[in-house]
Amino acid sequence: MKIKLRHATALGIALIVAGLAIFLIKALALHYPLAPGAQSTLYDYELYIEFDGRNQPARIEAFVPASDVERAFPQEQFYNGSFGLSLTGDATRNRKAVWTYRYPADRKVLRYSAQTLGETKSTPLPLSFRESEPEESPFEADPVKRQAFIVWSGNLRQRSADDSSFAELAIFETFGERTESEQYADEIAALLDPRGGVVSRLELARQLLHSQGIPARIANGVYLTEARRRVETRHWLEYHIDGDDRRYFPEGDPARFFTIWYGTEPMIEAAGIENLETQIALRAQEASAANIAENMPGPGGAFGKAFGFSSLPLTTQLVYQVLVTIPIGITILVFLRQFVGFKTLGTFMPVLIGIAFRETALLNGVLLFTLLVALGLALRFYLERLQLLLVPRLAVVLIFIVIAMAVIAVLMAETNQAMGLSISLFPMVILTMTIERMSIVWEENSASEAIKQGLGSLFVAAISYLAMTNSYAEHIMYRFPEFLLVLMGLCILMGRYTGLRLSELWRFKALAS
Amino acid sequence: MLNTYRALRANGVIGINERNVKYVNALNPRKLLVRVDDKLVTKELAAPAGIPTPELYGVIRDARDMKRLPEFIDHADGFVIKPAQGSQGKGIIVVESPLKGGWRLSSGKRIDLESIKFQINNMLSGMYSLGGQPDKALVEYRVKFDDVFGKVSFRGVPDIRVIVLKGIPVFGMLRLPTAESDGKANLHKGGVGAGIDLATGLSMRAMQHDYFIELHPDTAHPLENIQTPYWDDILLMAAKSYEVTGLGYIGVDVVLDREKGPLLLELNARPGISIQIANRKGLRFVLEKAMALSETPRTPEERVAIAKTLTL
Repeated sequence: MKIKLRHATALGIALIVAGLAIFLIKALALHYPLAPGAQSTLYDYELYIEFDGRNQPARIEAFVPASDVERAFPQEQFYNGSFGLSLTGDATRNRKAVWTYRYPADRKVLRYSAQTLGETKSTPLPLSFRESEPEESPFEADPVKRQAFIVWSGNLRQRSADDSSFAELAIFETFGERTESEQYADEIAALLDPRGGVVSRLELARQLLHSQGIPARIANGVYLTEARRRVETRHWLEYHIDGDDRRYFPEGDPARFFTIWYGTEPMIEAAGIENLETQIALRAQEASAANIAENMPGPGGAFGKAFGFSSLPLTTQLVYQVLVTIPIGITILVFLRQFVGFKTLGTFMPVLIGIAFRETALLNGVLLFTLLVALGLALRFYLERLQLLLVPRLAVVLIFIVIAMAVIAVLMAETNQAMGLSISLFPMVILTMTIERMSIVWEENSASEAIKQGLGSLFVAAISYLAMTNSYAEHIMYRFPEFLLVLMGLCILMGRYTGLRLSELWRFKALAS
Repeated sequence: MLNTYRALRANGVIGINERNVKYVNALNPRKLLVRVDDKLVTKELAAPAGIPTPELYGVIRDARDMKRLPEFIDHADGFVIKPAQGSQGKGIIVVESPLKGGWRLSSGKRIDLESIKFQINNMLSGMYSLGGQPDKALVEYRVKFDDVFGKVSFRGVPDIRVIVLKGIPVFGMLRLPTAESDGKANLHKGGVGAGIDLATGLSMRAMQHDYFIELHPDTAHPLENIQTPYWDDILLMAAKSYEVTGLGYIGVDVVLDREKGPLLLELNARPGISIQIANRKGLRFVLEKAMALSETPRTPEERVAIAKTLTL
């Protein structure tokens, strides 16, 4: 007894915990949207390369975004024309598309496009980067520069308290305006090419950080906040100090950006062509957040796929969209029966009627249901006089229900009532059994008892219909089918409830004194 | 509402949920339920155990048996036809005497052979059985009920319900038909229930429709302090039903016949909980006490002795 109770309770709680755990992973770690219709901005990134062939072997290399575990990067496409395409480099870091052709003539166009959610400043840097131990002695070839670097970095070290303040100081002085009064102006001038752009300064800052053993790298990409036809590539520094991911954007802080490659190399290198023109375009578009989350590459997307319906064909998905809401209705029914003590005609009949209401909408559904049951009951009482046997009588009632449904549909179609058409979706067998049960209760107990149970069933049907068609419930059940485990656990727990029902409080009120 | 809940818990009132989980499901193995669901099986098991039941005149299983119907019902003092798997008295035909080529029903109406056959066919097709399974019809001796409850019954047959936990009778109740219940003793149809003191067999207080009452609603006779005859025999029958069925929680329905004394009418594997109102007491404490006492095996006689001390 006790053991069974404990067993059931443990199983119920385990199911609920498992379901909630999967839900929390999906909601918090994988950012599945909790509300239906949540929209996220998806960016179309397009790299457009145009050039003239020179009738000699051509080779164009361009960095393309790597699919990184940490960021959403749903899909990509290459438009190669007649060129051969090969992908080189690390799939998760510097990935390069190499287009080649033996003798291109005329003007050629190559395109690459991808969709991304991009990254934000809070996007974590990969573990492999955080743990890398940089050791590098720059400017080996140039003793003057090497000397200047050693002096300057040593001095920066003296003027800083820790890695963090060192990094801030190094970046500040690398990017700061040169003034004559500055103490190490000479060293900085020697190290920094005045004509060099952002990249060369970032490189110097990176070398300074590396000299202190701080992992750092130059990242190149685009700012998604600048979504337009023609976008500049941007460069920034990523470094990691004391468990803290940091990014320094010399060209202004973007709310959202998209990393394409790392290092100081230019984005595109070409040989054997002329008049190269490249263009990066960004376009923002709204997309269903749920779809983006499920289509993410990497373990996150795989996890979502394993606990979701996105791998099924669309029509099957639509079926499951309805199916997974039914357990909500069932659970409500269990609650109303076990805790409240509702009396219904048939165990799951109200939920099945509730499902039928999906097609008819609530008010029409209730009206049609009442009409059909009333007609069926009238027939059933007439049949009682004929003294038919049970199964044939049920069959007669069922056929009558079909006829009544057809007549109602035809009549309503003539008067242009759309609601008449939806009547055909009522489950006739369920209606027939309802009529039979109701008439038996009517005879065995009383008319008022039959009507009471009929209304009770209708009420439960309406409640479960409202719950099952609630857009939040639909969304949560469809996107997070692990809630089926939670509902199952709840039903198991309710199955061991031995307390009094609400209706029993009323029934036994005489004993309460 | 919470106060009501607490008060009911404190008085040991159990609900349907608790009855089902702790007693019906835990003590009544499903495979043994056929022993109580089929009245023919119950009858066959009861006789060798020394539990008297109404005499069986015949069993109708199919059309061939139906030909023997006139032979089965050839009894001048009436007969009863009931579905073997019926519950709550559904579908029962009670015939009192022959009347003008037909028969007289207990309700006073006349019935002919064709109508009886039609009713039997309904029974066979499973109209009254659980889940609509095909059923049998039993033709039985009509109980001539003892006049002791005549003043507190309105037509119909009064009966005695005893709740038995693992062979120990724990609660008793007198069920009396009223005009409203149409001669049936079922409480939910408006019958009167009166608690019976297990030790003495005296009726205590009564209820109808979940309310306490003092007088029978139709005969206006006081319901308290009526001595149930053969009380010890009834308790012993109830206690023996445990060995007969192997079911740990049953309701034993007994009728009193003027000549034959107490007869077992039927056994119920999920007896109702309204008996608590009739006894003005919750079942839980008595059930738990009986549960503890049932740990050691005892004879039916010993269990009856225990039952008499239970409520002291």
